[in-house]
Amino acid sequence: MSTNPPAADSPVSLRNVTVQGRLHDLSLELGQGRLIGLVGPNGSGKSTLLQVAAGLLPSGGEVRWSGRRVEEISVPERARQVAWVPQEARFEFGFPVRGVVQQGRFAHGDDETGVDAALARFDLATLAQRPVNALSGGERQRVLLARALVTAAPVQLWDEPLAALDPRHGLEVLMLAKELARAGGTVVMSLHDLRVAHCLDEVLVLAGGELRAAGSPGTVLTAALMHEVFGVRARTGETLILELP
Amino acid sequence: MGPERLWAGLMCTDREASIVIWQLRLPRVLTAMLVGAALSASGLVMQAYFRNSLASPDLLGLSSGAAAGAVLVISAGWAAIEIWVLPLAAVVGATLATLAVLALAKRGASSERLLLAGVALNALLGAVTSYVISTGDLFARSSQLLFWLFGGLEDRTWLHVWAATPIALALALLWPLGRRMDLLSLGEREAQSLGVEVRGLRRRMLVLATVLAATATAVAGIVGFVGLVVPHALRLVVGPEHRRLVPLCVLGGAAFVLACDLAGRLAGGLRLGIVTALVGGPFFLWLLRKRA
Repeated sequence: MSTNPPAADSPVSLRNVTVQGRLHDLSLELGQGRLIGLVGPNGSGKSTLLQVAAGLLPSGGEVRWSGRRVEEISVPERARQVAWVPQEARFEFGFPVRGVVQQGRFAHGDDETGVDAALARFDLATLAQRPVNALSGGERQRVLLARALVTAAPVQLWDEPLAALDPRHGLEVLMLAKELARAGGTVVMSLHDLRVAHCLDEVLVLAGGELRAAGSPGTVLTAALMHEVFGVRARTGETLILELP
Repeated sequence: MGPERLWAGLMCTDREASIVIWQLRLPRVLTAMLVGAALSASGLVMQAYFRNSLASPDLLGLSSGAAAGAVLVISAGWAAIEIWVLPLAAVVGATLATLAVLALAKRGASSERLLLAGVALNALLGAVTSYVISTGDLFARSSQLLFWLFGGLEDRTWLHVWAATPIALALALLWPLGRRMDLLSLGEREAQSLGVEVRGLRRRMLVLATVLAATATAVAGIVGFVGLVVPHALRLVVGPEHRRLVPLCVLGGAAFVLACDLAGRLAGGLRLGIVTALVGGPFFLWLLRKRA
């Protein structure tokens, strides 16, 4: 559990991370084989945290991957260790979908391993030759996830991967995330739907750039915390449950 | 000149034809090709750098910067001191313009912001150039000064071909960057997360784009729209992959400027900058309309 840091060589560990105006003195561990949800109100620092953890945003403090300081790891090596999916992407140029997904293999010598499988997995096979700047928001998000998947990086950091997806594709992404975690990977996804967060292995709650709580969803997502952090009243009761057929 | 005379001239068996070909035509043709390749490649690099297909060295003020630098040293009389003073002044002017654009518009800035930065910079540098011309010794140097503003390939000699050799060097250095430019053109953080050394790549791209545009301007004055039209037209035909676009832009830019120069001569001596603007202006407007 992230509140009790395990060995120093957990896949990703942050120590006293501060980003001016966005994150304040934040320490946490992302454990192996875990599917972790990152929740918090708008502007609480979720995207910033993911970028710092991915080694893409310099911060005051220390980011270590399996015990090594991220600054000491070469950029291509980093790309093989950790994949990051941005919240949204603006595509100025009309690269074909397949080409964008294949970019995930850049750090592996630009081969094509897993590209077709990833396209199939994200329902993109029929769109493979379409220009990426002509896709809908949800389709673009699936392209970015497919690109992250082909990197085969054991740590996957996804920034609101479900935001633009329809229910079925959303559930498929969740299934995939669980599979990756079961296979020994580490998957972190920021999200707003606390009901989805409830079925993950672990939840990190951010508010105002600080880590407010971390642990299993049952212990973390209490009615009191949800009221305090999100300003909502949580009730359990009958609700609509969606599953893949 | 018929094919027989052309051959005789090339082989130096016909003295008159040989002078026309070796001293007049060939330097002009080579300069045209180098200038075209440089401007087109520079435009391609800037478009990938700014992630905006409306970026190009003339629209963003690099060419104006190079021209302002050149005009300043000409009017001060320094251009006559050493042969390298003029190109150097052009490179310095273009570099300052590049830095100004970077300060005005961040990478990934909206088209509006980028173009407004270019408009502002072009106006400012144009004012500098006009001021220098209006206060300088107009009669002595006016033709030399005007050359810079309209762009042209008249009277180009082997000296200009040699002065343009940095273009060949810069193009060779640009060649292997294609794949990384693909990744960068889809976002900086994204590119880094996929394993591209973004900082070094960005620096190299910026230096190469500046050297290309500045050298081209130093030997041919301001030649507009090449950096916009050629990469764009080629992207429409072969798609956005830079591994293909880099060599094609080099060839396409060379062919385009050569054709424009020829067209200008056939039209009774229209200057190159005027011909490229006549072709490129409507194309640019069409592009803006298509994006809107």
